[in-house]
Amino acid sequence: MTQKIENLSALVDGELHDEQLLDAIKNDAELADKWQSYHLIRDGLRKEMASQINIDIAANVAAALASEPAILAPKKTWRDLPLVGSVVPFAKQGGQMAIAASVAVAMIIGVQQYNQTDVEQPFNSAPALLGIQGGLSPVSLEQTRTLPRADASEQRRVINAYLNDHKQQLRFKAAPADDESEVELYETEQSNNVERIPQ
Amino acid sequence: MRLSSQTTLNVSRNNKFSKCIGQVTLACLMLLSFSTIGQSVSDSQDRVTVDPPSSSHTQPVKAFPSDSAHGWLEKMAYAHSHLNYSISFVLLKPGVDSQPYLWRHGVTSEGVQMEQLNLLNGPGREVVRIENKVSYFEPNVPPYSLQSSVINGPFPSEFFQQPDEIKDSYDFVMVGRSRVSGRAAQQIRIVSKDKSRFGMNVWLDQETGLMLKMNLVDLNGQLLEQIQVTACHVTEQPDDFFEKIEPAMLPEVLKLRPQSDTKAIWDIDYMPIGMVEVKRDIHRLPITGQSVEYVMLSDGLVDVSIYMRDSQNDGINQDILLRHESDTLLTLNKGTLNVTVVGKLPPETANRIASSIHLAN
Repeated sequence: MTQKIENLSALVDGELHDEQLLDAIKNDAELADKWQSYHLIRDGLRKEMASQINIDIAANVAAALASEPAILAPKKTWRDLPLVGSVVPFAKQGGQMAIAASVAVAMIIGVQQYNQTDVEQPFNSAPALLGIQGGLSPVSLEQTRTLPRADASEQRRVINAYLNDHKQQLRFKAAPADDESEVELYETEQSNNVERIPQ
Repeated sequence: MRLSSQTTLNVSRNNKFSKCIGQVTLACLMLLSFSTIGQSVSDSQDRVTVDPPSSSHTQPVKAFPSDSAHGWLEKMAYAHSHLNYSISFVLLKPGVDSQPYLWRHGVTSEGVQMEQLNLLNGPGREVVRIENKVSYFEPNVPPYSLQSSVINGPFPSEFFQQPDEIKDSYDFVMVGRSRVSGRAAQQIRIVSKDKSRFGMNVWLDQETGLMLKMNLVDLNGQLLEQIQVTACHVTEQPDDFFEKIEPAMLPEVLKLRPQSDTKAIWDIDYMPIGMVEVKRDIHRLPITGQSVEYVMLSDGLVDVSIYMRDSQNDGINQDILLRHESDTLLTLNKGTLNVTVVGKLPPETANRIASSIHLAN
């Protein structure tokens, strides 16, 4: 047998050509097995392995099934008594429902925690500032309902004006200092005749 | 491989327990092949690459001392203005969709610095800088150029070029090393000296010194804004894109009107340490057309706009504090004066600045 395997190995390597051995492989299941695994090894070493290796496990499954004991009839247990049989499944069901309910609760908690991401954080209540009369209303562009209805849209317009102008000023900031002045890209109106702010 | 296959099998040929060994070899081989697959996957994820290090651009970088935060920032400044790189990053801001950018930089053989910043989502915004001319291509606005040495983008360009400028206002702290964007990175924390401004965490590539990640955090350490690099390529030659630019075809530099002589009407008593007034004028706001007296404060990292106007003109005289993305907007009414402060500042600081404004004598 050892000799045969050795010859098989040589055959796989292409060092030996033996018709007799080939016949032996055809007839001998163990040799055929070896033949297959040697080829697999060779492919592996040459990095020619297929991405999905199809190893035939049908034979093993068939063998496993064959050795499985056949169940002919269920044994009688205490559950099969008429009264107990109807009670126990109910209790079982209740247990399942309890588990389902607790999973749901856990999910709700999970979702709530998930929603409290730090992204939202900056939008929520601004810290109270000291020294301001009348207090500050925390307002964001999305959330202006704390303001009187009529003023809200006007206020939003002013806020947008400030934010836009800030962006524009940042861009022109880097322009050289000596001829730095107002440049209005988004407006055609000339601003040379700007009124002085009353003092 | 062919050779080793023979040796393995030759060994087994001479072995009494060849069957057993054959099985063991098979198991080993399968393990080997799986680990190779895993390796190739992780290779493809490691997208940040540095092309063959050439003496021309890695030697001077390594010359910087790497044991101090200051040395690291110098290395960063050198890398950002001398290397040829192409960086993809994503900008994350609260309440806004993430914005992917492509940022390329190249130095031609004549020593001309070129830089490009491109917003990759939507109709696109593109900024091209050639030395001191920055051209902006944006939707809804005709393209224009400005004379400037920095691009006005989502990151503090001035800081990348001259980190030294902010050393009067901020402390630099070495934090430690970690892995960012698949590369070894050095983390440096930048904290304002008087705790009046937001802090920054910067992760720099250990090898090149380029920025890999940047977090803007408030005084409690909450994340406000983040730039995360997803791919970074350093090359020996500038990107082909820069060859295609024809400097003559770029839009004209905007002629800025001479500044009208404005006398300061209002004084600002409180400014955070290191902040200086960089601009003062009177102009009209877009959208509403209100005229305002305008002052810009800057410390080299953060720019703050201050608007002052008479509050009698309209019905809005409510104090407002809001945060728009990472900008704070605060409006205060003091008698007839309406002060608005806009900028990346904690609300407390914005309030302190606004409260300190009074009529000039």
